[in-house]
Amino acid sequence: MSLSKTLSPDNKTFTIQIQGKFDFNLVQEFRSAYADIGAENPKVVIDLRDTEYMDSSALGMLLNMQKNLGSKVSSIAISNCRPQIKKILQISRFDKKFEID
Amino acid sequence: MHILVVDDQALNRTMLQYMLEVEGYQVSLAENGRVAIETFNQVKPDVVLLDVIMPEMDGFETAPELKKMSGDVHLPIIFITSLDDQKSMLRCLEVGGDDFLAKPFDKVILSAKIKAHGRNRELSIRILEQRNELKYHQNLMDREHKIVEHIFSNALNNNRYIKDILSHHLSPASMFNGDMLLANRSQLGSSYILLGDFTGHGLAAAVGALPTAQTFFNLTNRGMSVGDIAREINNQLINLLPDDMFCAAAIIELSNSGKAVSIWCGGMPDILVVNRNSGIKQRIQAQHMALGILDNDEFEHASINCEVQDTDSLILYTDGVTESENKAGEMFGQERLEGFYNEQPKAELVDVISCLDDFRGATEQADDISLVQINCLASPKPEAVSENSIPPLPWHISLDLSPDDIRNTDPVANILDMVSAFEGMEKHRSTLFLLLAEMYNNSVDHGLLKLDSAIKDAEDGFFEYYMQRQEKLEQLTEGSLTLNISYAPGIESIKLSVTDSGEGFDTSEIADIQNRTEQHGRGLKLILELGEKLEYQDQGRTIIVHYSVAQSKALDEIPDAETAEIE
Repeated sequence: MSLSKTLSPDNKTFTIQIQGKFDFNLVQEFRSAYADIGAENPKVVIDLRDTEYMDSSALGMLLNMQKNLGSKVSSIAISNCRPQIKKILQISRFDKKFEID
Repeated sequence: MHILVVDDQALNRTMLQYMLEVEGYQVSLAENGRVAIETFNQVKPDVVLLDVIMPEMDGFETAPELKKMSGDVHLPIIFITSLDDQKSMLRCLEVGGDDFLAKPFDKVILSAKIKAHGRNRELSIRILEQRNELKYHQNLMDREHKIVEHIFSNALNNNRYIKDILSHHLSPASMFNGDMLLANRSQLGSSYILLGDFTGHGLAAAVGALPTAQTFFNLTNRGMSVGDIAREINNQLINLLPDDMFCAAAIIELSNSGKAVSIWCGGMPDILVVNRNSGIKQRIQAQHMALGILDNDEFEHASINCEVQDTDSLILYTDGVTESENKAGEMFGQERLEGFYNEQPKAELVDVISCLDDFRGATEQADDISLVQINCLASPKPEAVSENSIPPLPWHISLDLSPDDIRNTDPVANILDMVSAFEGMEKHRSTLFLLLAEMYNNSVDHGLLKLDSAIKDAEDGFFEYYMQRQEKLEQLTEGSLTLNISYAPGIESIKLSVTDSGEGFDTSEIADIQNRTEQHGRGLKLILELGEKLEYQDQGRTIIVHYSVAQSKALDEIPDAETAEIE
């Protein structure tokens, strides 16, 4: 379980990649990860390609992030979800609030 | 050395034989051309002394036949002649003669001439031997190249891609291409493309392609990010390649929807984003050094992400394209390439190639030339990996957990690792995790720690809640949890249950969960959606969820139920 963040060299995309398990154990790390997104209104990508597990606390963390960042970002996308993870997001109607790719 | 004397006069034959045998040569005799030819293959002479005028077959006729029979090895023929008119001597040379010996014979001159021509003969034999040896090595090398080529084409031709998305043109300058194109699709349906250019070309350059391809296919199958793929390949190459060899590369991932690309580019020419209607939209410069140069701790894996649309294409190319020269020594250059695309934004690769060919004219291709076009289209969902059916084996896993276990271990993830070891369970893994995690966390949080979910509703309550949870968990000394998970093959159903030693609660409270919109309760709603049945027993101390593995609504089919939007 780990979290890594990257600001793209053109400062336009801020990517947070979560490996393994996405749940409340990451609550602090996740919050501090998006504290420093740069000043250029980047797009935030939550890359879940390596995320195997996620529960409702992760959903809460995502919603909190959205509330927190608000207009500081151009958009927030959740990308590369595995099918079972995507299903959880769809059931929770997250497709109405995030770009899910 | 073996000398054949061909003369119709017995006296001449005897004299020559005598003179030569005194010098230590082996001598054979023939009285005319026909006999000489007939005995040639047994005698195998190194030098032939040949009379011109003989009955049956004269010297002029015999010489070309003997030369022919000698094949690739030079056979010196010295004409014995008393003729001194220019015309006859000229004819001797024309039919293949190498020298003349005048009658009467002079011992010293005869000996000198035999020696000189013997040397020529030996030289010719040596050259032939060397030629055969070269030929042997050439054959060996060809064979080995063919084997290597076979291995390469097997390693590099595993490419999987969608034809409408990827088109390419690869033109190596030698048998082995120092440029390399790899393509694969992940299980999520995104397309990966790697275009690489090793320093130099030919076999040496192509050697690095093998490990690169292996790593690429491995990691793309697992759906890794382009930055992580670049890092792994860099690691491989830094260990394998000599210091002066490296690989410029662009690694692209086009999402399943065709709307997003991420790019890691090191040491390659600018990637062009071309719109079919408006021309060049964007140039993406290499952000990094080529692969195989930097050590792992210096390596940068940051990638560039762009949004694209279905009328966009990415154009990737190696420097062989821009550095192609025409007769005047001018390079094709990036400007010319961009100009071409701005004039003809709908151009296909064949058009670019013919433009490049026109420019180059008759000038020979000096480097490998590779061009790749990636059309940013949505791709069909990847075919589902054939799923193992679940064998009709009933199983049951049960765990009793103390406060220490709850603090120090991760029982839900561990149970799921066990469960997914059962055949056919892998595809339910994340869903089962979610169900069990929700049940387990509710039991820990409310049953054992007596936390109030309403905390989450306050400003910043979400974090407050988890801070309190951690604090209370550290102080927990009493209580226990029991986790059960079992499979019933008859009804194709998995039963999950969690029992806590807490006080229980009024289970009628959760009846209207579907209509609630607070920060909490999200987990229960997910359980109701994903599970088949939810029940409480033992005054709420035990929660039981049934999950059907038969339901094929498993993946795509999301019910359009009017569930309240979760806030």
